[in-house]
Amino acid sequence: MENCLAGSPNVALLLMKAELLKGHLDALLLAALEEGPRHGYAVMEALRESTAGRLDLPTGTIYPALHRLEAAGLIRGTWLVVAGRRRRCYALTSAGEQALRGRRADWLEFAAVIGAALGRTPWPSTA
Amino acid sequence: MAQHRLIQNYTDVLLSQLPHQLAEEVADGLAEAYANYVFHGLSSDDAARAAVTEFGDAQDVVNVFALGSPARRVARRLILTGPVVGLCWAMALIAGHAWAWPVPTVAPVLLGATLIASVVVLVLAARGRGYRAVRRAGTAGCVGLAVLDMAVIGLALVAAPNFGGLLTLAALTSATRLTCVVGAMRTVVA
Repeated sequence: MENCLAGSPNVALLLMKAELLKGHLDALLLAALEEGPRHGYAVMEALRESTAGRLDLPTGTIYPALHRLEAAGLIRGTWLVVAGRRRRCYALTSAGEQALRGRRADWLEFAAVIGAALGRTPWPSTA
Repeated sequence: MAQHRLIQNYTDVLLSQLPHQLAEEVADGLAEAYANYVFHGLSSDDAARAAVTEFGDAQDVVNVFALGSPARRVARRLILTGPVVGLCWAMALIAGHAWAWPVPTVAPVLLGATLIASVVVLVLAARGRGYRAVRRAGTAGCVGLAVLDMAVIGLALVAAPNFGGLLTLAALTSATRLTCVVGAMRTVVA
């Protein structure tokens, strides 16, 4: 199981910390809902799958983030009954789709700029 | 189906501190995680431990919900906008010589006490950590400010000898805040 990777010391070094995710969590959650409506745990599973299990974030804390996005009108939550249990599923609103497009474009531009600066290696010395 | 003890304990913490629907939503995810681990071959105990570990400390989940709660958000907005409304009333009351208005002495005392109490509970709501405590304080602050706005507008309408421009401006700012507070109450108490 992907989550078992978290127990490995080597992989643990690669795990993204929650602090690094600040400012990007909203975009990640919106992206996880891009393919269609999902409930909270499925959102986390989708994030874990898309990041090859390197996303180190307590699953319980994404629920408040989903509620924050809902309050902002970027996603819409509805209650369903699945196997006799009530389940809240979320879907992107048109404002959420627009926000995701904006965040994605910003991120790609940012990554390109930083990548260009940090990716340069000095020319080998000829001396 | 009976839940594993660890899952039940986690759910109990959520139910004791969060509104039922929020707790129910997280508990459903936790049950899903537990079932997922069992499906992948873990024993019931290991699956419950893994699910609880994955979700993080229940108190942290409650605290994060409290930090983003509607009551806290509304309380912060009211604290930020309060000085503007207060300044408008201060200018209007001074310009209108409110100390000479024919009102019982108890009226300004009650208004002042309501203002102080409302500000105190709003600050508690804006800085509190428990979800329910934040909601209670936020609700009390909203009600307090709504009562204050209605009372001060009513008092000015009844007692002010002439309703000049500054009084009109102050009454409008109060009426605007009152409308916002009434509109926000549904999300604050939810």
